[in-house]
Amino acid sequence: MSDIQSQTLDPTEEAKLGLGAHAAALAVVCVIALVGNTVATENTVPQGLVGLIILWVMCMIGMLLTKFVPFKLPSVAWISAVGILATMPWTPGSAWILDKVSHVNFLTLATPCLAYAGIAIAKREIEIAKTSGWKIAVVAVLVMTGTYVGSAIVAQAFL
Amino acid sequence: MPIKDILLDWRLHLTVLVITVIAELIGVIAVPIGIGSILLLPLLYAFVLGLLINPNVISAARVLIRDREVHAASPLIVVAIMPFIAKFGTIIGPSMDKIIDAGPALVLQELGNLGTIVLAFPVAVLVLRMGRESIGACFSVAREPNIAIIADKYGLKSQEGAGVMGVYVIGTLFGTFIFAILASILATTGAFSVEALAMACGIGSGSMMAACSGALVHAVPDMEEQILALAGASNVLTYATGLYLCVFVALPLTEKLYDLLGRKEPSKTGA
Repeated sequence: MSDIQSQTLDPTEEAKLGLGAHAAALAVVCVIALVGNTVATENTVPQGLVGLIILWVMCMIGMLLTKFVPFKLPSVAWISAVGILATMPWTPGSAWILDKVSHVNFLTLATPCLAYAGIAIAKREIEIAKTSGWKIAVVAVLVMTGTYVGSAIVAQAFL
Repeated sequence: MPIKDILLDWRLHLTVLVITVIAELIGVIAVPIGIGSILLLPLLYAFVLGLLINPNVISAARVLIRDREVHAASPLIVVAIMPFIAKFGTIIGPSMDKIIDAGPALVLQELGNLGTIVLAFPVAVLVLRMGRESIGACFSVAREPNIAIIADKYGLKSQEGAGVMGVYVIGTLFGTFIFAILASILATTGAFSVEALAMACGIGSGSMMAACSGALVHAVPDMEEQILALAGASNVLTYATGLYLCVFVALPLTEKLYDLLGRKEPSKTGA
């Protein structure tokens, strides 16, 4: 039980993929997203393709920043920063970018991710859930409710 | 992992492709319940379908997905959320003026993440009589950066470590459902403004924010742009500030509360 936690399950460890591998994996994910986008929305394949190529480039820029900027921020923070900066009203070309990415549905993009997440659940995670038992499950639900309702209450007070 | 291996893992990618298509074909289903309605989203079906063909859950699934694929799927979760995060950035950018208007509320609602302590900690310690694992379990929403804090301070083999890992695993298994359900119920009851609920979706996890803001958008479709912009901005802010809030406020506070309320670590057991 103890070694389950020490070495095999450390989610803080960044996936050991190099930039090239990341680029390839991202391309695979974008192909899946393109099919999903075509099934789920009215957008055509060429429209979705152009939008996804732009998003792919943004992700790659974000990953380069994660690698080369000296202070540490998770890659998702850099990627969203790239997306934000590229589409600010005063950024040259932002209207064009916005028009192209508008053909990609945001929720459809999350679907493949959750499919991978379901497949990635390992035996040890199921074991931890079982051994920690119902008490930790109750606490976990309260933790999640607490952060959501807590943030909503504070936001409501200052809006 | 070499590039070749990722591309050759066609079994895994093809499965994900099939799951994605099935999930999108089913589409959104609204389940009305007394005080509101629960929205079931394609991303939730995708997760369940992934679990159903996971050999660790259903052992008969081993013919299709082997341990190799399970192992290979893990790093792809982070990769697969990236285009989604980039798309979110392109929703935040054009709405910058609205976000600046909401500025103070947006920054201060980060403090609301301390709600984990307010709600969960008393129950863990006083009702469930849990020991020091309640510190790890309750100080945060237990995503990756929070685990790093506990690992750094106590080690993951400690009681605190068991607490944070327990909540992490439950969050990984059910978090998207819980936030989607919370958001859709609270949106349909009208107790909070939609802007406040959108900001609260910035939990510091891409998939949970996706489920949460997705449920909100389906409940209030007219406000789609605003919801996504605020949720996305709040999520970025949580990535940036969450770590500091945890290290300097949440964890010390939880420890103080444990000294006050918790059972005294006995040298002899009992009492």
